[in-house]
Amino acid sequence: MFGSREKSGVGGAQGGGTMAPAGAVTETSSQAAASAAGVRAKTLQAKGVDLYYGDFQAVAGVDMTIEPNKVTALIGSSGCGKTTFLRSLNRMHELTPGATVKGDIELDGEDIYADGVDPVAVRRLIGMVFQQPNPFPTMSIYDNVAAGLNFNSEKVRKAEKDEIVERSLRGAHLWEEVKDRLDRPGAGLSGGQQQRLCIARATAVSPEVLLMDEPCSALDPVATLAIEDLIGELKKEFTIAIVTHNMQQAARASDNTAFFNLEETGKPGRLVEIGPTEQIFTNPRQKATEDYVSGRFG
Amino acid sequence: MTEVRIGYQEELQALEASGLGGLDLVSASLSRTLEAVEHQDIELAQIVVADDDRIDGRYLEVHQALITLLATQSPVATDLRLISALLHVLKNIERMGDQCVNICKVIPMSGHEPPADERMVKLILTMGVHTKSLISQAKRAFEERNIEMARDLVERDDVVDELNRECFGLALEIGDDADRREWAMTMLLTARAIERIADNAVDIGEQVAFVVTGLFREFEDASHPSAQA
Repeated sequence: MFGSREKSGVGGAQGGGTMAPAGAVTETSSQAAASAAGVRAKTLQAKGVDLYYGDFQAVAGVDMTIEPNKVTALIGSSGCGKTTFLRSLNRMHELTPGATVKGDIELDGEDIYADGVDPVAVRRLIGMVFQQPNPFPTMSIYDNVAAGLNFNSEKVRKAEKDEIVERSLRGAHLWEEVKDRLDRPGAGLSGGQQQRLCIARATAVSPEVLLMDEPCSALDPVATLAIEDLIGELKKEFTIAIVTHNMQQAARASDNTAFFNLEETGKPGRLVEIGPTEQIFTNPRQKATEDYVSGRFG
Repeated sequence: MTEVRIGYQEELQALEASGLGGLDLVSASLSRTLEAVEHQDIELAQIVVADDDRIDGRYLEVHQALITLLATQSPVATDLRLISALLHVLKNIERMGDQCVNICKVIPMSGHEPPADERMVKLILTMGVHTKSLISQAKRAFEERNIEMARDLVERDDVVDELNRECFGLALEIGDDADRREWAMTMLLTARAIERIADNAVDIGEQVAFVVTGLFREFEDASHPSAQA
């Protein structure tokens, strides 16, 4: 599944790669065809995951399954480790100096931290959308979407690239708004449009999983609802995990919700409960979840 | 962690107390209704009818406040179940009040000195006493979130149902006198209304179970009596 590199090492601070091996590109293309045909996306599974920043343990003992073609929301108070956990799901955690990972994270049964797995290939299959829309400021809208294609493949023919850019922008509900100004800078778009541009960029490389780290926290309510609608569409093709501080967003936009919590400051964050969103917001099993979603404690 | 949203929690608790307080209004209304039935007191019956506005007012006031909480506080989990249950219970309370009104409206129909059958009046008064007890038990079960106490309402309601059937039997034996038959018919309506008040108390018990467990099951299904939850 993943292109192999010289031993990337589990938990080592990894600087990230530059070029993905050709094998990975071929597989990505075939997966694009599979997604278009409606084949299910992949399952992400965490098994006994511990996450550290140097000696400090930020997250302990997380076992959870992020189901295919569903939206899984990660909620919890600040500092509970949910973003750290999200970043471990596509090997971004290890980019922080001193950050290490223990345990297994598997994409359809294949360990993404196994020896020889290329972190760049992992990050292409498991894309990330960030809190602040971050289009490349000097690049055109077109080039922003095509950026991943340029980096990740040796050669993508122009016609094919045009098709992928259009499909990705349509998929991000942005095509109609930008089709006449694809050569204009991405930074000239509104915040909501920029975030949809970033989603188009993330989906252009045909990932299996999309990770979203508070993707709406910098957006106004209307742009937020537009992104939430989009997330509902995207799950038909991708597996989605989203970190959000907005509990109503978790309730509206996710199928499953995972609640992370800290026992006390200085202790690692733990997964308290994961279940269908409907259950978490109507009848959670754990009192800590109840207190958090009800807003009794914060 | 710091406790937050204290004002919201206090407001929700106050609304629960106010909503369930409607059961005290119903209980008082039922007491007056029974007294009006026992003494054929038409004036008292009219007071019951007029005072139903207080029960309706409580319904509207608490209902509106709960809707506002839903709109402004986005309650979830137990709070959401509690609000949903209170909305149901408010409707039950409003219906119980209306049944008292129904009884009181038929009292004048049989005049000041109807050809009453003492046995039937006694049965109806006994039904009323049992039903008042069911109302207070339903309120306590809700306040204490006590499922066992709520479930016990079903058995106690069976007693009221049996008394209602006995009333029906007495009405059949009331004889050929047209006035007595007419009186018996009004008494059957009365018994039926009291029986429905008791049923509403059982419905409140079902809401107790919903608040506690998150699952709604009818304690007893009238259309499938054998399928008890």
